[in-house]
Amino acid sequence: MTVLGYLANGLVFSSIIVLGSIGLSLVYSIADFANFAHGDTMTIGAYSALVTFGAVGGLGGAVLGLPYGFFLALVVGIAVAAVVAVATEKLIYEPLDVDSIGLLITSIGIAFIYRAVIQIRFGSDFTRFDVRPLRPIEPLVPYGVRITLHDVAIFGSAVALVVGLHVLLQYTDLGRKMRAMADNPDLARVSGIRTKRVKLWTWVIGAGLAGAGGVFLGLFNQLAPRMGFNLLLVIFAAVILGGIGSVYGAMAGGFLIGMINQLTPFFSNVVEALPIRPNWLATVIENMITIEYANAIAFVIMVVVLLVRPNGIAGEGAT
Amino acid sequence: MSLLDDPKAAFADLSRPEGWVLGVSVAFVLFLFVAMLTGALGPTYFLFLVGLAGMYALLSFGLNAQWGFTGLINFSVAAFFGIGAYGTALMTASGSPIAGGFSPLVGLAVALVVALALALLIGIPTLRLRADYLAIASLGLAEVVRLIVLNERWLTNGSAGLRGIPGFFDGWPVLSTFPEAMPGLRLEVIPGSPVILETAFWQASLNVLLVLAFAGAAYFVLRRAHRSPWGRVLRTIRSDEDLARALGKNTYSFKMQSFVLGSLIMALAGVFYAHLNLYVGPGDLDPITTFYAWVAVILGGSGSNRGALFGGIVIVTIREGTRFLNDVALPIDPAPLRLLLIGVVIVAVMRYRPQGVLPPQRELIWPSAVGGGGTPETPDSGVRERKGGDDDE
Repeated sequence: MTVLGYLANGLVFSSIIVLGSIGLSLVYSIADFANFAHGDTMTIGAYSALVTFGAVGGLGGAVLGLPYGFFLALVVGIAVAAVVAVATEKLIYEPLDVDSIGLLITSIGIAFIYRAVIQIRFGSDFTRFDVRPLRPIEPLVPYGVRITLHDVAIFGSAVALVVGLHVLLQYTDLGRKMRAMADNPDLARVSGIRTKRVKLWTWVIGAGLAGAGGVFLGLFNQLAPRMGFNLLLVIFAAVILGGIGSVYGAMAGGFLIGMINQLTPFFSNVVEALPIRPNWLATVIENMITIEYANAIAFVIMVVVLLVRPNGIAGEGAT
Repeated sequence: MSLLDDPKAAFADLSRPEGWVLGVSVAFVLFLFVAMLTGALGPTYFLFLVGLAGMYALLSFGLNAQWGFTGLINFSVAAFFGIGAYGTALMTASGSPIAGGFSPLVGLAVALVVALALALLIGIPTLRLRADYLAIASLGLAEVVRLIVLNERWLTNGSAGLRGIPGFFDGWPVLSTFPEAMPGLRLEVIPGSPVILETAFWQASLNVLLVLAFAGAAYFVLRRAHRSPWGRVLRTIRSDEDLARALGKNTYSFKMQSFVLGSLIMALAGVFYAHLNLYVGPGDLDPITTFYAWVAVILGGSGSNRGALFGGIVIVTIREGTRFLNDVALPIDPAPLRLLLIGVVIVAVMRYRPQGVLPPQRELIWPSAVGGGGTPETPDSGVRERKGGDDDE
């Protein structure tokens, strides 16, 4: 594969990571804790879409190789993820009388409950959406780019959702309230913002985007009960790289982490070509930058960012 | 201790949750014992369960030294557990790709040294981080360790894992032949269902002895350390790090010490596990082990070693109970059921009893400091809980 091919794959994978990281970052800044159940919220979205798609079928026509029914399933996936997240907030998080560390630990329990329920219902095996797999788009193949129309659909939908979020945050009343709350919750409260309501909307938006990300992840790879939890740390890496609390930082971080993840094979080719002086160092680096360690690289980047620039590349006031 | 001096007063002294836990534990042990006598529960399997409970108790002790004492959110328990297991396995196993064939004592030493190195490697960068960042970073680094173990086949044999690990007492003067030397016993307590004790049983009882030694040593070291001036600094750091710093303590150094101490105890659990299971694989580094230990600690009561012991037993009950349930009653896959129970326990504890079932109270105070005998006054829970470093900041 050529560089262009890796970049194209990176773009698609980044779209999924961005959808996940925005929600995680929003919840981190407004509900004020690291939500370890975010990955499993993505799984919920994916499996809800699977069930819906199985029930409604194709519904006639198709766009970008995806039947209309799939888009309906996507909407249902987003809605179910949002509803589950709001219900969890109402039933579990809100009545809790613990600090943000306590909430973090609780969210791990929530993550296990989500995953366990899905695993009991669907088993632990991989499944796929019942969509016909497509061939790569012909005119792009000579450039080494092997992406399908599905990938284009993932990228396009992600862009649409991100732009929608941007408009919401910048030009609506709710968006201004959310930004105010992320900035300073106490000040927002005394200025008459109903912080509880804004918090609920944050959950709706964050979990909804996560649900969409989960559906696309299922389309990109396949579905498994662990899919979200496995991606969670990569998403955390993206959020931390972007700076916790900054939605635009999360977008940038998600984009970078997704790209780095998919470009790892390319980097390993580059490293092999480079004349690194001591031979043992060359061997070590060549061994470390391989596809098996694509996630590990993201985690190491995350720790390095935490150490040298804990506010991330676009962070605002996270301490 | 006071139990030996004055059993009656010691019982009267128990708080309500303590009495509850004691009652439930005694009932549970009696239940298992009856099950064993009637032949429903093999004695070898029972000892295996005891060994497993001891192992989880060790893991929880280790985590308790980090989270309960100092407030370090370490989500890399599985990495230290796995490194301990792999450390000894690589030295002793016949299937080891690098060394193999050494005495388990060498394995123990190597495992501890490797765990120490890993603790420094993870601790030096992450211990300066804010609490929630530490959680995320340590979980990430534990994943890195797992990926390395999974992929570096020349070192760890990759996904195939390591087989042919000897028992811990292999090559010891008397103990190595003890299981074979013991006669097979046949006890018939209830007519018609004899309990047969054979070589495997004696082997298992040696393992139990080993874990009791490990856990006992860890318990007394931690108990002593927790009450010592050193432990008091840790508790101060937990409740208010700035205060500890203002008092002139090098908090980073203290955090590192408690991190290393905890990590070594976790590695000890790994060593025991390798010689109990006689096989280790990359699956043993799965993050779920981390969360098992966490459930044990927060359920038992952060900072309380007795609580950690209790939590370890609960974890084994959940782990093996779901398997048992699957065999006997409900045909539900045990893996998700276990996950569900763990999740529910976490949420329920945080909702209804965030301080845990057995929060540290008297165990933090030197016995001689509590009154001069007679009936101690009812504990003023507010003050004592704050002294015990409850988990609010």
